[in-house]
Amino acid sequence: MTSLLTIEDLRITFPSRQGPSEVVRGVSFTLGRERLGIVGESGSGKSQTGRAILGLTPPPGKATARVLDFDGTDLRAASAATWRRLRGARMSMVMQDPKFSLNPVMTIGRQLMEALKFGASETRAEARTRALAMLEAVQIRDPERVFRAYPHELSGGMGQRAMIAMMLVAEPDLLIADEPTSALDVTVQVEVLRILDRLVSERGMGLLFISHDLRLVSSFCDRVLVMYAGRVVEELKASELTQAQHPYTRGLMNCLPKIEGGQRPLPTLERDAAWAR
Amino acid sequence: MGEVMLQVADLAVTFRRGGDAVHAVQDVSFSVAQGESFGIVGESGSGKSTVLRAICALAPTSAGTIRLRDAPLATPRPARFFRQVQMVFQDPYASLHPRHTIDRVLSEPLAIHGFDRREERIERALEEVGLGGGFRFRYPHQLSGGQRQRVAVARALILEPEVLLLDEPTSALDASIQAEVLNLLDRLRAERGLTYVMVSHDLAVVAHMCDRLMVMQHGRAIEELSRAALAAHRAETDYTRKLLSASEGYTPAEAS
Amino acid sequence: MSAMTRHEWLLSDRPTSRRQARLGQAYRTWLSFRTNWLAMVGLGIVVALVLVALFANVIAPYDPVLGGDLRTERFLPPLTGNHLLGTDDLSRDIFSRIVHGSRLTLLVVVLVAVIATPIGLLVGTTAGYFGGWVDTVLMRITDIFLAFPRLILALAFVAALGPGIENAIIAIAITSWPPYARLARAETLTIRDSDFISAARLQGASSARILWGHVTPLCLSSVIIRVTLDMAGIILTAAGLGFLGLGAQPPQPEWGAMIAAGRRFLIDQWWVATMPGVAIFIVSLGFNLLGDGLRDVLDPKARK
Repeated sequence: MTSLLTIEDLRITFPSRQGPSEVVRGVSFTLGRERLGIVGESGSGKSQTGRAILGLTPPPGKATARVLDFDGTDLRAASAATWRRLRGARMSMVMQDPKFSLNPVMTIGRQLMEALKFGASETRAEARTRALAMLEAVQIRDPERVFRAYPHELSGGMGQRAMIAMMLVAEPDLLIADEPTSALDVTVQVEVLRILDRLVSERGMGLLFISHDLRLVSSFCDRVLVMYAGRVVEELKASELTQAQHPYTRGLMNCLPKIEGGQRPLPTLERDAAWAR
Repeated sequence: MGEVMLQVADLAVTFRRGGDAVHAVQDVSFSVAQGESFGIVGESGSGKSTVLRAICALAPTSAGTIRLRDAPLATPRPARFFRQVQMVFQDPYASLHPRHTIDRVLSEPLAIHGFDRREERIERALEEVGLGGGFRFRYPHQLSGGQRQRVAVARALILEPEVLLLDEPTSALDASIQAEVLNLLDRLRAERGLTYVMVSHDLAVVAHMCDRLMVMQHGRAIEELSRAALAAHRAETDYTRKLLSASEGYTPAEAS
Repeated sequence: MSAMTRHEWLLSDRPTSRRQARLGQAYRTWLSFRTNWLAMVGLGIVVALVLVALFANVIAPYDPVLGGDLRTERFLPPLTGNHLLGTDDLSRDIFSRIVHGSRLTLLVVVLVAVIATPIGLLVGTTAGYFGGWVDTVLMRITDIFLAFPRLILALAFVAALGPGIENAIIAIAITSWPPYARLARAETLTIRDSDFISAARLQGASSARILWGHVTPLCLSSVIIRVTLDMAGIILTAAGLGFLGLGAQPPQPEWGAMIAAGRRFLIDQWWVATMPGVAIFIVSLGFNLLGDGLRDVLDPKARK
């Protein structure tokens, strides 16, 4: 499998009153045309890792890496023009809450067309057809209506699908999905995941799926990185999660309640200071 | 099973906004025995939280009756009610006043209801939820999400209620913190013989915590089942089965 | 505590008493306020105004009301003799008059703040919290007050009550609460349905307790910011009333009245009207800078 994205020794630091604090400390991985999951609790640095790949580390944060390569392009030295060419067209990101990621005063259609502008040269009518087709592809039943709608006129699930449509309309090679389904109901969640799944298998897209939900990631992704305190503590195949070696991964798995019933009290996670070192 | 603690019959909640009427809850009935833990499961908009809010009159009851220890509840609720029924909210970041210290959060209910030995009660309440005295004079922003939720539990329990209404108490918390808070709630129920009504979207959490549960959809109760039935995946409605399979994680392209 | 500096004690993560927690919170606010130098300049001006008003008798070299020799000491330009800012048409030392005038300015500012802020807070939080017809009635009354330009309304009140500094203060206070009521209502609407208010109601807290103990503290900071920013306008309104002869009456050294008296000589003796104008300008600027700084530290929404 050819690798689409290669990261070595990614570090992200934020200045604070007590001096610089490193929220991501030496993360390395490669991503091919596959589903790679990053799992971690809040503050583990998983979202910052995703943002850094797109060069979206919020200031005053600083991201550095020994290698940050996207399909032959060195992202560390990327100019503004390079980023414009890459973002949207070749790599995109789906955020957790569609409410904050969609422009509230633009119709979904206009935002979709906007996303297309960076793509190939084509007429307005062609772009419109493509945008509508994309809305249909994300299982929106009435694409014409959604095309004309403003974000506030859509439900959470619809909004998230519209958001995914927007991110995918330019057919990127890499999609970073940061908790794309956490704001959704479980039944809608499954549908959204099916869409992502199909895009990976049919279009050969690379997907970086960032989530706090170990159960979801392990059932959806091919490989899983487990992050703790800014580091990857374990990398394993999703199917082999039950044989996880690291006590943190095992702790995360065990502390989830099970429908079939299990231990009472639930086993809790005893954090070891050594994991963070 | 013991005496019936809480009984809800034909409950309906209708919100009126301008000319529209939104039927948030329709014809919901259930009863909870003393010392029992009862779960309500549903997705957003199913009306599950509204049921809890209607019990404590935070949402208007448009039809039906709610009885506590076989006595119908008056609206507005009498002061005595708040010493019997308390609630823990979903978002620990929104349920604590940002400018009040933990001390103030805990001492206010004691002052309202004229409790004695307040110092001692506050110290003990913090002790019971696993927060030492070092937390007493902190502000909420100096606490983590899990610690805040412990404070919210302490606030609910400081009036020594018999019934605790739990509105998604762990959905805003990380998995490892969720386990700690669930264990805490479990232990407190055993120690004090509390009655729980717990609302959640997470079937696994409800299955872990509750003896019986009710599934809600679009404001209606569609199924009631026991923990054993849930564990064995013996659901009667399609919707519950769908929830069950979704909560297992992702299943690629199932025949649908 | 001896091993700890006061700084550490205040910034402690685990305060051991109510007092320490409250002081620590105030100290943190102060630390972030201190980093904003423009706000510190504003604070400096306001503190200076208070000090000058307190020690006016010591600072002012001459009597503010009784003038000197009308034959030799009229219209002395600035920096002649002992008259730092010169003298006016009645041979009174302008510097002394401005120093004493600061008392009137401070009186206006403090009284208006003390009268208008609580009215605005009470009306706004009550309207916002209860909603329904209470809200409608209170807000329509507020709208009526807001419909008139402030100076015109103050003029009408002063005309009815009679001229004088006290009536000017009452008139300004009556006309300045409606924006605070609006602001407090808007804040209350966002707070009203939050979980911590629901939690307080579930504890059996009365509406009065919730309004006073839970809602008001959260509205207070934005209202304080607004009041501080309005102070410049209030000072100008007071000066305007003084200028029109409806505020402070001669020979009171009110800054607006001083400008009014000096305008007749503006071409030849520019300093008579200019000096009190500069005083108004500096104090207004001070309050504006202070208000901006307070907004930065108190208003979480303005933060990034």
